[in-house]
Amino acid sequence: MRTKKLTFLALFTTLSLAIYAAESALPPLAPIPGLKLGLANIITLVLLRHFSVRDALLVLLARILLSALLFGQALSLLYSLAGGLFSLLVMALTMKLLQKKFLFLTGATGGLAHNIGQLLMAFAVTSAPGVFAYLPVLIPGGILTGIFTGFCAGLLGKYLSPHFS
Amino acid sequence: MPAEISGKGSTLKTDYNYNKTALIIGAFLILLCLSSLLYLALPPKEGGEYIAEIFQNGTLHYSIPMSGAQEGQSLRLETENGGFNEIEISADGIRIRSASCPDKLCVRQGFLQDSGLPIVCLPNRLVIRLRPADAGESAGIPDAVTY
Repeated sequence: MRTKKLTFLALFTTLSLAIYAAESALPPLAPIPGLKLGLANIITLVLLRHFSVRDALLVLLARILLSALLFGQALSLLYSLAGGLFSLLVMALTMKLLQKKFLFLTGATGGLAHNIGQLLMAFAVTSAPGVFAYLPVLIPGGILTGIFTGFCAGLLGKYLSPHFS
Repeated sequence: MPAEISGKGSTLKTDYNYNKTALIIGAFLILLCLSSLLYLALPPKEGGEYIAEIFQNGTLHYSIPMSGAQEGQSLRLETENGGFNEIEISADGIRIRSASCPDKLCVRQGFLQDSGLPIVCLPNRLVIRLRPADAGESAGIPDAVTY
């Protein structure tokens, strides 16, 4: 059983890394720093829904560290960590409150939290209060992209979960 | 309360209604979206003179009045680790013409003409914004910078 779970988590890490790489290759949605689909969040949501917070955290950290090593710079690691960890925390809470139902709402709060976490990190790095001018763009951006990833995670979970146990 | 709701596969002990929670969360998110969009829809109040402020690593490096800008005036900012941003000021506003960062989002943001969204280049820790010339000198400039 442990081996099976380990294999699943390793597969999910690979999958999220591949999704992340594919998304980086796409042209950005808009010339707004921090605004992106966040497709790799689909994997985090599936893990939160069908595995546990701990497993989701492990895969998230592995993905962030690996992606920083493979394609990133030192600074993008900071942004990813701030966004990813805050988003995971908020999604775990929301999912518990909603008892794993309404996955798109969990995705939406996660997207929102991700963008807020990144913006706070951007402020910590640049210490220019001007970055908060992006808040009105990044709030709806995070919510909308989060709803999308939430729906994707719901569909993916539906097809994958019979194979988990 | 959320703590005792989700036992392992056990049936619910409380008559906790997650539909209601979902409704509250949904309403909260919609409210956040609407207020953000409303804020964006409001036109910037001020007009006229602007001063371009260029921040690097959180400190104000340049403060350039836009009124005196000549066509194609440019300056180049280097970062500690070899990166650069080339900034151009013209009658159209201020923009980053070229940069060393990988995503070039700062370049794609184009010309900045009013005090709406500042141009930021996160990899190079650079922020450019326009401040109305009649606003206070120290508005928004941090007193101290910590990391």
